[in-house]
Amino acid sequence: MALLEVENICKRFEKTEVLKGISFTLNEGESVSIIGSSGSGKTTLLRCLNFLEMPDEGLIRVRGETLFDSSAPAGNTEEEIRRKRLHFGLVFQSFNLFPQYTALENVMLSPRLVNGVPEEENRKNAEALLSQMGLTDRKDNYPHQLSGGQQQRVAIARALALKPDVLCFDEPTSALDPELTGEVLRVIRKLSEEKTTMIIVTHEMAFARDVADQAIFMDEGVVVEQGSAVEVIDHPKEERTKQFLSRYAEA
Amino acid sequence: MFVTVTLSLLEGFLGTLRLFCLTLLFSLPLGLIISFGSMSRVKVISVPIKLLIWVIRGTPLLLQLLVIYYGPGILLQKNIWGSGDAGRFIAALVAFVINYSCYFSEIYRGGIQSIPVGQYEAGQVLGMTKSQIFFRVILLQVVKRIVPPMSNEIITLVKDTSLARVIAVYEIIWNGQSFIKSEGIIWPLFYTGVFYLLFSGLLTILFHYIEKRLDYFR
Repeated sequence: MALLEVENICKRFEKTEVLKGISFTLNEGESVSIIGSSGSGKTTLLRCLNFLEMPDEGLIRVRGETLFDSSAPAGNTEEEIRRKRLHFGLVFQSFNLFPQYTALENVMLSPRLVNGVPEEENRKNAEALLSQMGLTDRKDNYPHQLSGGQQQRVAIARALALKPDVLCFDEPTSALDPELTGEVLRVIRKLSEEKTTMIIVTHEMAFARDVADQAIFMDEGVVVEQGSAVEVIDHPKEERTKQFLSRYAEA
Repeated sequence: MFVTVTLSLLEGFLGTLRLFCLTLLFSLPLGLIISFGSMSRVKVISVPIKLLIWVIRGTPLLLQLLVIYYGPGILLQKNIWGSGDAGRFIAALVAFVINYSCYFSEIYRGGIQSIPVGQYEAGQVLGMTKSQIFFRVILLQVVKRIVPPMSNEIITLVKDTSLARVIAVYEIIWNGQSFIKSEGIIWPLFYTGVFYLLFSGLLTILFHYIEKRLDYFR
């Protein structure tokens, strides 16, 4: 059984239909990259999975547990949604670290507040995560003392600290200088090798192909093409996918 | 004479200080509540509160003092403030608290709304509750941003307290001015200025210190 099942997710803002029935499944330990031009609904899809937006229609299931079902709209109190969010982690394009806390405190805050993890254990976990991100010597720095790439790696450690079933990345390198992109991509690549289940929205095509098992090409709120990452990105079948990818090849 | 004047002014300054401290004590928290009200998505709450803020910020504090002190007596035919010095002081305090709460609420609102929405969303996806997000993530960032405008407003309050004399609440200028009539000397009035300068200087140092303490993050 797939770890994550997403069926027919629809989302409208006012009159604009942003998602028009998105479906996909993801197995444990696999990752999927979502590609497509700006405005195609990629970010909205991630925000729906993390319940930052409520889908208008559709179904979200993790490990067989139904987290969202528009045909049975019970169980959506604030407290329940808060719990459901913990199945997913989200790494933002703009990092969104908490500026008044050090890197280590950023990672430790939520496990302490939300899961009541004992201080000693929490610190050990956080330090291990930061060292996994190559940031051991930066753990006592505040976000403004870190480069964008370092901040994003702290943000990844912070998301991992809650041990989500699925880790989502929303264009994790789009706010970074080209020379800082590599260090973040390397970390994500390592997570993929360690079989972290991930959904990666990205504009880095080569990366999307090499790291992910599956790829999904979205356009105007629908899935145009999906399949193995190498197939979709190197040998697209749909005309729209070819157009999109050829523009990247030119650039 | 100098000692007599100093003692009299010190006594007056105590009245000033009392009004200053009590106004802050009530208007700092009340301002936060009003700011939440003005940001409420429920129109029945936000519209009247915005109206109140408009009226209070749009009319002189001097006028508000007069209306609050004399208004109830004329409308209800009854002095709700109690008699004598104490009653006048309470009326003045109420006027100051209402006025400053409204100003503070706008500073709070500006501070709260200047925090990027990403900070809330980061807290949400990390599973925090709304109050955890506000108290553990947002609040200190707001405090850092509002220290400069707040210090401005609080230093203005030091001097505004002198307006209370319009309803005969004794404060330092009242005492200083009394020497013009009784002794025919004007220098005590200038002397009151020294008190204001020293006190606002002290506050300036305090706020500078707070700003420094919050300098460790951006």
